[in-house]
Amino acid sequence: MKKTFWRCFVCNDIHYGIKPPEICPTCKVKNAYVEISASEAKTCLAPVPEKEFTKEDFLRAIETLAEGQEFMINPDRARLETLFEGIFNNERNHGLKYCPCRLICKEFEEDLKIVCPCNFLIHETYKGVDKGECWCGMFIKR
Amino acid sequence: MAKLIMFHGRECPHCRAMMPLVDQLEKEAGIVLEKHEVWHDEKNADLMRSYRPVLTPQCGGQLRVPTFLNTETNAAVCGEIPYEKLKEWALK
Repeated sequence: MKKTFWRCFVCNDIHYGIKPPEICPTCKVKNAYVEISASEAKTCLAPVPEKEFTKEDFLRAIETLAEGQEFMINPDRARLETLFEGIFNNERNHGLKYCPCRLICKEFEEDLKIVCPCNFLIHETYKGVDKGECWCGMFIKR
Repeated sequence: MAKLIMFHGRECPHCRAMMPLVDQLEKEAGIVLEKHEVWHDEKNADLMRSYRPVLTPQCGGQLRVPTFLNTETNAAVCGEIPYEKLKEWALK
């Protein structure tokens, strides 16, 4: 199944996936999504102003992700600072927030798997491991 | 002649943790590892990618740093590992 773009006909939210949300998370209208082309999606998103996403914003985002989960952010702030430096350098130099503890292989679909946060739940360093952590150690089991 | 290579990343905490162990190994065993930083040097990144078929089966299916590679035997170990394991890899 291939992912495609969907637009809420009420509030113009854009969704990218194999199927649309049943209820629009923004306007809460049910069955409001219609499939659209990639170019229409890009046009719809174009006026969205680019806003700097700082390290503080990123920390807030991953803290929110970890809320109520079996994993948490590593409390070692010095380690986090090093990792953030690498992640933001990688975004500036290579386009996305790639994990500083791995390397892109220049195959887009494959490289998406190492964008932070990655799906570390399936990694051998985390899954089934007592004190499991993601490969870089940013996320650890509670 | 066999080359011992360490692929590492400047902002990788595991790589930083392994550096003193690599120094210790070089002094103790009288060997030198070629060190290649892969996120800030495209040539080094390409070199690591050229070993992808050899490295990924030994490193969780991905290119990960730090990775230690013996270019003669293609034996590789990855991640933050104990000194003894590093030494065993290097002297094998």
